[in-house]
Amino acid sequence: MSRDGCNILSARFGRADGHLLKTYEAEGGYRALRMVLDGMKADEVIDVVKESGLRGRGGAGFPTGVKWGFVPKDAEQVYFFVNADESEPGTFKDRYLLDYDPHQTIEGTIISCFAVRANLAFIYIRGEFGWLVDRAQKAVDEAYAAGFLGENILGSGYSLDMIVHKGAGAYICGEETGLINSVTGTKGQPSIKPPFPAVAGYLGKPTIVNNVETVAAVPWIMNNGAAAYQATGTEKSAGTKLWSVSGPVRNQGVFEVPLGLPFAEFYRDELGGMIDGEELKACIVGGSSVPVLTADEIMGCTLDYESLQQAGTMLGSGGMILIPKSADMVELIKVLMHFYWDESCGQCTPCREGTGWLHRIVGRLLKGEGVPEDLDLLDKVCNGMAGLTICPLSDAAVMPMQSFLQRFRSEFEARIHETAAPGSPSRWARGE
Amino acid sequence: MAKLTIDGKQIEVPDGTRLFDACHEARGEALPHFCYHPDLSIAGVCRLCQVEVEGMPKLTIACNTTVRDDMVVHTRNERVQTAVKQILEMHLINHPVDCPICDQAGECGLQDQYMDYGLYESEIEMGDKVNKEKAQVIGPHVILDKERCVLCSRCVRFCEEITKTGELGIYNRGDRAEIGTAPGVELDNNYSLNTVDICPVGALTSRDFRFQKRVWMLRATPSICPGCATGCNVRVDHEGGRVYRLKPRRNDDVNGPWMCDSGRMIYKDVHAEGRLGSALVRRDGGLESLSWADARRELLGMLKPGSVAFALADPSLSLEELVLFRRLARRLAGEVQIAGGVAGDGLGEGDEILLSSDRRPNRHALSWLDLAEVAPADLAAALEGARGTVLVLGGDPVAHLEVAAALKGVRLVYLGTRHNATAAAADLVIPLSMWPEKDALWANKQGRIQRGQRAVAAPGDAREDWRLLVDMLGHAGDDLDLAGLPALRRFVAQELGLADEDSLNRLPAAGLVPDVAVASPGSAPTGGE
Repeated sequence: MSRDGCNILSARFGRADGHLLKTYEAEGGYRALRMVLDGMKADEVIDVVKESGLRGRGGAGFPTGVKWGFVPKDAEQVYFFVNADESEPGTFKDRYLLDYDPHQTIEGTIISCFAVRANLAFIYIRGEFGWLVDRAQKAVDEAYAAGFLGENILGSGYSLDMIVHKGAGAYICGEETGLINSVTGTKGQPSIKPPFPAVAGYLGKPTIVNNVETVAAVPWIMNNGAAAYQATGTEKSAGTKLWSVSGPVRNQGVFEVPLGLPFAEFYRDELGGMIDGEELKACIVGGSSVPVLTADEIMGCTLDYESLQQAGTMLGSGGMILIPKSADMVELIKVLMHFYWDESCGQCTPCREGTGWLHRIVGRLLKGEGVPEDLDLLDKVCNGMAGLTICPLSDAAVMPMQSFLQRFRSEFEARIHETAAPGSPSRWARGE
Repeated sequence: MAKLTIDGKQIEVPDGTRLFDACHEARGEALPHFCYHPDLSIAGVCRLCQVEVEGMPKLTIACNTTVRDDMVVHTRNERVQTAVKQILEMHLINHPVDCPICDQAGECGLQDQYMDYGLYESEIEMGDKVNKEKAQVIGPHVILDKERCVLCSRCVRFCEEITKTGELGIYNRGDRAEIGTAPGVELDNNYSLNTVDICPVGALTSRDFRFQKRVWMLRATPSICPGCATGCNVRVDHEGGRVYRLKPRRNDDVNGPWMCDSGRMIYKDVHAEGRLGSALVRRDGGLESLSWADARRELLGMLKPGSVAFALADPSLSLEELVLFRRLARRLAGEVQIAGGVAGDGLGEGDEILLSSDRRPNRHALSWLDLAEVAPADLAAALEGARGTVLVLGGDPVAHLEVAAALKGVRLVYLGTRHNATAAAADLVIPLSMWPEKDALWANKQGRIQRGQRAVAAPGDAREDWRLLVDMLGHAGDDLDLAGLPALRRFVAQELGLADEDSLNRLPAAGLVPDVAVASPGSAPTGGE
C-alpha cells in the first residue's frame, strides 16, 4: 500500500496485528516516549517539532510546533485534543491510522501533551466510526496497563490521562472550537475567535487540537530527528502525507508518499491510472472543500502545499477524488452542495442561508429548471459567503462551487440550454 | 486610551473599548447589526458589522474586536458596503416579507437596514423559501414566528444571561435552525417581553400588543413605571388618548434597558372597567353622579379646618401630591390624625432583577415627609367613634374589614381612580388622574426622584390632581399661588428642604438622588386662619 521505503505513518497498515501493543513495541514503539521522558524538556520537544517542519494535517497546514508555542508558558492547566472527527468527503486516512495503528497515535499524543504540558487528552472520534472508538479504547487501556498513561508515566513524574470521546456525527465538530464545544456538552458549533483555543479553549483553559495524522508523525520525528523528517519532502512541505484516494482508478485506498511527489508519477505508479474505458477529467485533491482542478492542471502539480496552492487549490486533508470524463459535474456539485447545506451549523447568516441557496439553485439546474442568470447568481451567492463567517465551512462550500463553475462552466450551461424553455412554468418571469 | 482612525476621523476611546462602540461614536450611528447588544454577551453570528481594519487581510466583525492604538478602520468603503449588502441579502432570502401583517413593521431591523444598506433587487422567488412554523404561542406574553427570525440569538442569550432561566434555545442546524422551547417548557418568566424588545425583527411579538396598532401611528412619551418601588424608566406608547404599550427606556442607574412583564401590563388599569370618570355623591343610600361644579362645592364644604377627623394618602400618589396632601391634612386634621397609607398595603414578592417587593412607586417619599403609615387596626381605632370627615387620597383602606366596620360615624371623602371598597363606602367620590395622565415626580426605593410626563388625558371629570389640591388648600385659607409646574416643583423642593430650589425643574436624565434631611419639617403655612 505504501511507496517503498516511505512508511513513517503506514508501516502497520493492512496488518491484522498492527493495532496490538506487542506488535507496536516490537517494532520500536514507545521508544520515542521513553527517550522524551528520560530527561528532555518540554520546550526541547517543541523545538524539535518546529525544526522538523511538521504541519497540521487536518487541512489548514499550520506549523504544528508554532501552534504548540502559542500555549501560555504559565498556564496551570492545558488540554489536548486529538481530532479524529474525520468527516471531510473523500478523506479516510485518520480512520486507517486509528484502525491499524492506534498506538502510534497514542504515543504521539503523549509526547505532544508532554510538550504543551497537558495532563488530560481527548481522542475525539467521529460518531459514525463506532468500531474505531472500541479499537482506540482498547489501545488506550493497553497503554494504561503498560504504564504509558496515568500517574507518573515511566517514573518520570509526568502524568497524563486520556479519554476516548465519541462524537455525535456532525461535520462541524471537526472544526476545533466546534469540537471543544461538543465535548463541553453545548451545541457543537464553532466559537468566535479571538480568543483562540491555544489561549482559551476547553473550559476556558489553553487547549491544543491536532489532527490524528499530525500527532502520529511525532514519534518518528523524535526517534529520527527533525533533520531526517525535514529531509523528506520539500523545503516548505516536510515529511510524508497520507492520501485517501477514491474514484475509478485502478488502485484506491490510503497511500503514504513523500510531499513533493509529482502527481503524474503518483497517478501512474501508485494509482495505476483510471480503470479501462475511463479518462481523468478532474481532481479534487485535498478533500471536498478545496477547489477542483482539471486533469491538465493536476498533471502539472507536485503533491505539496506550495505547488497545489500555486495551482489554485489546497492540499487540505489529502482526500483525493479523481473524477472521470463520464461524470456529470453538475450532479457532483449537487452532492457536495447538499453536504454543506446539511452540515452548516446555522449560526452565521451567510453560511446558514448561503449553503441552502446554493443547494436550491444547483438543484433546479439539475432538474432542468435553471435560467441563464442562475450561473451568475451562483457566483454572486458565493461572494456573499466567502470569508465572512466564524469558521471556514462557508468557504468550504464556496471553493468547490466556484471552481466547478469556473472550470466546467460549459457543463452547467449545457444544463440550461438543454431543457429550459423560456418562461419555464415553475418560475415567474424575471423583469416583468 | 487608544487613538484610532475610523473613516478618516481620529477618535480617542478608553482601552478595551469594543470596536463596535468606537465606530458608533465616530460615525454618529451604529454599524449595521442584529446580534450585538451592549447588555448581552457577544455572539458574532449576524456578521453584519463587518469593517476593514488596515493590515488585516479579511474583513472583521467590529463587535468581537477590541480597539488598538493606531488602528485604521474603514466602515463605509466599497468593500465593506458590498459585504454588508450581501450579508443583508442572506438575512432576507428566507424571510417571508410579510410586513403588511407584521407588528414589527415600522420598527424592524430588516426593514430599516434594507433601506440603509440593501436596496437591491430580490433574486429569490417566494416559492424557493424555507418555510417554518408561524404564530406559535410560546408563553403567556410572547408569540413566535420562526420564518421571520434571523437567528441573532439575542432572546436566547437574554434568557441565559439576564433572567438565567434558559427557556429558549436554537434547535436544529443550517437553514432549518429555529428558536424554540423544549417540550413542556414555556417562556413564562416575568421578563419575557424584553425578548420582544430586543428581537430585531418580527419573530417575537407581544401577544398583548399584537394587531392592536401600527407602530408608526403611536406617539411616545417618557414616563416612570408605577408598578413598584424600582421606578423603571418607560416609554408610554399611545394614540388617540389610549395607551397601547409600555417599553423600557434605558437608565443604567435604575433598570438598564429592561423592565418586567407585570410592570408592562400595568397600563391596562388605565383603561380598565371600574375606572372612576365622574364624581359620585351618596343620596338615599346609593351613589349618584354629580357634575364637577357641584362636586367641587360638596368637597370644599366638607373640608373645613377642624372638621376633618383623619386624613390618609396612599404612596401611589406622586411626590407633588403627597407634599400638597401633607400641607392640606395638617391644616384640616392636625398633626396626629394624618397618615401616609395603610401599613402592609402594596407589598408583594420581589425578585433579584428589577421587581421590588414594595409595589408602591413613592413609599420612599413618605419618610422624607414624615408621613407614617398606619396599621389597619390603628386606623380602625382612630375612626371608631370619630366625628366629622375622613379624607382618603388614593389606595383602598376600606378593603380592610376592621376599617370598614369603624366608619359608622364619619363622612368619608374619597379621591381616587377606581370603583373599589373605599369608593363604595364613601359619601363623596372625586375622580383622580392615573400616572400616564399627569406630569409627576416619583421617588423610587433608591430615593431617586424621576419624572414621568403626561401622555394621555384623564377620563371624564378627572382633573390635574395637584391643581385640585391647591384649590382645596386655598379654600382652607392657605393660598400657595402656584401658577404652573415649575412653581409647583420649586414649592416641593422647598418643602423637602433641598438646597437648590430649581433642582426638581432640572432633573438629570438618570434622575436625582437628593440630600433630603430625614423627615423634612416643611415650611410654615402661608395666609392667616
